[in-house]
Amino acid sequence: MKERFATGFDPFVLPFLVGMIFVLGYCLYGIFRILFQLPRQDRRKFLLSLITPSTAIKNIWDIFANCLLHIKLWKRNKMLGFMHSSIAFGWFMIILLGHIEVMVYCPERVRLLYYPIFFNYFVAENESTIGGAVLFFLMDFFLLLILTGIALAMVKRVRSRIFGMRRTTRPSALDRVGLYSLWAIFPLRLLAESFTAHISGGSFLTIPANWVFRQFLGNDLNMLPTWWAYSIALGVFMVVLPFTRYMHIPAEMMLIPMRNAGLKIRHPRRGFAKVEVLSCPGCGVCIDACPMSVQKKNIKDCTVYLNRQIRRGNEKRIEEISDKCLLCGKCEAVCQVGVEGPKLRIAQRSARRYGITPDFSGMDVSGMTASAKGSKVLYFAGCMTKLTPSIGKAVCSLLDKAGVDYTWMDREEGLCCGRPLMTAGRIDAALGLVKKNEEIILGSGADTLVLSCPICYKIFSERYSLPGVRVVNYADYFSELVEQGRLNVSKSDICYVYHDPCELGRGCGIYESPRRLIGQAAGIAEAPACREESICCGGSLGSLTLDFSQREAMTRKALDNLYASRADAVATACPLCLATFSRYSERPVRDLAQVLDASAERVEVK
Amino acid sequence: MDSRIILIIGGGVAGMEAARQLFLLGYQPVIVEKSDHLGGHVAGWHKLFPDMMSASSLIETMAGGLDGVTVYLKTTVATMNRLTSGFSVVLSNGTTLLCGAILMASGFRLFDASRKEEYGYGVYDHVITNSDLEHWFNTGEDDRIPENPSHIAFVHCVGSRDLKAGNPQCSKVCCMTAIKQAIEMKEKFPGSEVWCFYMDLRLFGKKYEDFYINAQRDHGVHFVRGRVSEVSEDIDGKVILKAEDTLAGHQVKLKADLLVLMAGMLCNEETPVLASMVRADVDSDGFMRSRDNIYRINESSRPGVFFAGACTGTKTVPETVAEARAAALDIHNYLVGNG
Repeated sequence: MKERFATGFDPFVLPFLVGMIFVLGYCLYGIFRILFQLPRQDRRKFLLSLITPSTAIKNIWDIFANCLLHIKLWKRNKMLGFMHSSIAFGWFMIILLGHIEVMVYCPERVRLLYYPIFFNYFVAENESTIGGAVLFFLMDFFLLLILTGIALAMVKRVRSRIFGMRRTTRPSALDRVGLYSLWAIFPLRLLAESFTAHISGGSFLTIPANWVFRQFLGNDLNMLPTWWAYSIALGVFMVVLPFTRYMHIPAEMMLIPMRNAGLKIRHPRRGFAKVEVLSCPGCGVCIDACPMSVQKKNIKDCTVYLNRQIRRGNEKRIEEISDKCLLCGKCEAVCQVGVEGPKLRIAQRSARRYGITPDFSGMDVSGMTASAKGSKVLYFAGCMTKLTPSIGKAVCSLLDKAGVDYTWMDREEGLCCGRPLMTAGRIDAALGLVKKNEEIILGSGADTLVLSCPICYKIFSERYSLPGVRVVNYADYFSELVEQGRLNVSKSDICYVYHDPCELGRGCGIYESPRRLIGQAAGIAEAPACREESICCGGSLGSLTLDFSQREAMTRKALDNLYASRADAVATACPLCLATFSRYSERPVRDLAQVLDASAERVEVK
Repeated sequence: MDSRIILIIGGGVAGMEAARQLFLLGYQPVIVEKSDHLGGHVAGWHKLFPDMMSASSLIETMAGGLDGVTVYLKTTVATMNRLTSGFSVVLSNGTTLLCGAILMASGFRLFDASRKEEYGYGVYDHVITNSDLEHWFNTGEDDRIPENPSHIAFVHCVGSRDLKAGNPQCSKVCCMTAIKQAIEMKEKFPGSEVWCFYMDLRLFGKKYEDFYINAQRDHGVHFVRGRVSEVSEDIDGKVILKAEDTLAGHQVKLKADLLVLMAGMLCNEETPVLASMVRADVDSDGFMRSRDNIYRINESSRPGVFFAGACTGTKTVPETVAEARAAALDIHNYLVGNG
């Protein structure tokens, strides 16, 4: 080993150095800014989580698994997984190995930021030593890995369909600069190392390349310009990084610990929301997932574009995108980074100011409380079930058959659960209704609350504080009744395909109990896209601006997916899905309660 | 020479009247009717506004004019093909016709009220449609209608002027039908209270407004401007309606023994299929597209294919009859080369 330059410096490292210092400075400033933006208790929670060993270990593993290995992406799409992990993990390994090299051979230089990156220029080592052979082999190996990834990335840009993506995002102008400089970095590194390989050593990639070049290049004049070019490409990439989608690389490393600390979006633009927006890599997986993208005009309303517009501060488009969304949550389910599209939109909506804010605090609910008294089990149907009375009827019939002593809480009169106001971003008004409903339920003396509407169930399970009252979705409740032998279900020969309602499936994580019940009462088939991947019926209350003609296209697409299962009929567990599908479906659509009621018999108590 | 046979699809009032006129003009009209009787929807009706004429006697009179006209009941059109002049038509009973012109008088179908589930048709025991009520007037058989109802409610615009139901147009006849049926119910059950829930009252025809005034002044029918938001059923099986009286600005809750839904009109499902055989166009509202909606309502965009009645849009009986006559004359002019 010998150092080629006693100074350990050459002007070509300057572009890299400028870029590196800039990006480090920017990120450091960003971290402090975001920490400052967090509410006090959130900041405390976050900082404490960093020094709690269990979360700290989880943080390190999550960052390693998601930012470098892209394990989630591998599970979803192997080609994309390979492409991203080869670049990210390969790059990480090259940086790591560079540092190891410096530490092994010239530890006094370890403080220089550029030394590990340009090690082969400054240090002449021979691959004939065991250390050199191993290190150089690993260096070349990971460089090859990255180059494969880059080649795949280039193919993907031209033909995204090969990677199973129907549509991908249109990069902005700066994104393109970032993209092309990223593409340039590694081929330039290969060239630079190849030109230097006969002096500084190399391995299976760089030595043959060096030999080839030397056949027709008689001198070493290419060496320095190539190192310059490599350094410039790195410098450009790092200077534009904060303003491109590549900001997701540092931002995600912040997002993961924040999420593990249990932080939530508290402000539409600042703090945690800001980190989520910056963490969006702009991959565009959410475009194909979004139910609105059946129509081309809605493609620019997907979460990836919301993030881009928030970064640009385009208020008009932010409002449009936020209001249009159905809040079905599929973008969140498929997102590799975990950007919470629906919550981000609700946060944007909540920033709007209204002339009148409803105040429910003065409302007298004594009448409603009185009529809710009498039984230990309360049934809350909700507004949507009132509009689909067959569900309410079937639920009551089932409860009767099982011999449950219950009271239909909102049969005569009831209040909204608050979820529609919540999705509209009017959180204070929603919580006003929540308070009133809590008063009624706690005043009724019941210990179980059964809900047949997943829209209600979501807010009841998330926002209601009902000590001593068990809030249960009817699918779970009826499952228990069947298990306890209180409901006798016989199997009919109709085959149903079960549609996971957004609010019940992705919203509350209930996938199994409805399937189990339908399987007991009839045949059951699965649609190609089901469970977390289920397609919104298009009727969602979440959207504030979509009209019926646009929703129709989504409903038909969702129905086509269900028809592909070749079932005779469609079953769902949400009054809104039922009403929406019934409008256009050629096959019968039934609610879970109807399916169950048709084949349930009364169990005679002896 | 052109064939003097004219195919008339549909044996309702439009088809019957057009057939009679064409026969009088010296043609050989052939009526193809899918059901087992002539008269279409009108045959199932009891009385027709504004004269309260008996629907069955109207159909009887009209059928009386069809001596010499070929009528195929329980028959549908299998295929239609355009020839150099005229059309070759094969019917489901195996008959092949070479006809000079085709008149589509295929009418409408009633909106399926169970699709507006919030009104509880098919879910609750005492919810019926306008057509069910007429059927009961004729036969007296319907278990859903209680012995002696004390409160009866009518809901206008069920599946009409309703984007959610996918049917934005006005069905035109239901306002008057509701008023007519309200009066008839009031006459049958003088002690009852009758309520009509409406968005707008569209009383455009001769004597319609008189009917409305009569209903309020002489029969005491209550009219509430506001759509019914939800319908439920109490333990006794009575129907509970919730609505907003938008004129008085308060909420209304009504317990009724019977709820009648004014189901709207949609284009018959078979009509677009038939139209595609002769390449006639379907309009954005689902009904057939006339050449224009002012001067050539009876003509399709294709020569030799004509329309009469509700296949081009919602219509009253007198409008349909007038259109049928106009279509007959249009066909005559087309065949003698005056078109």
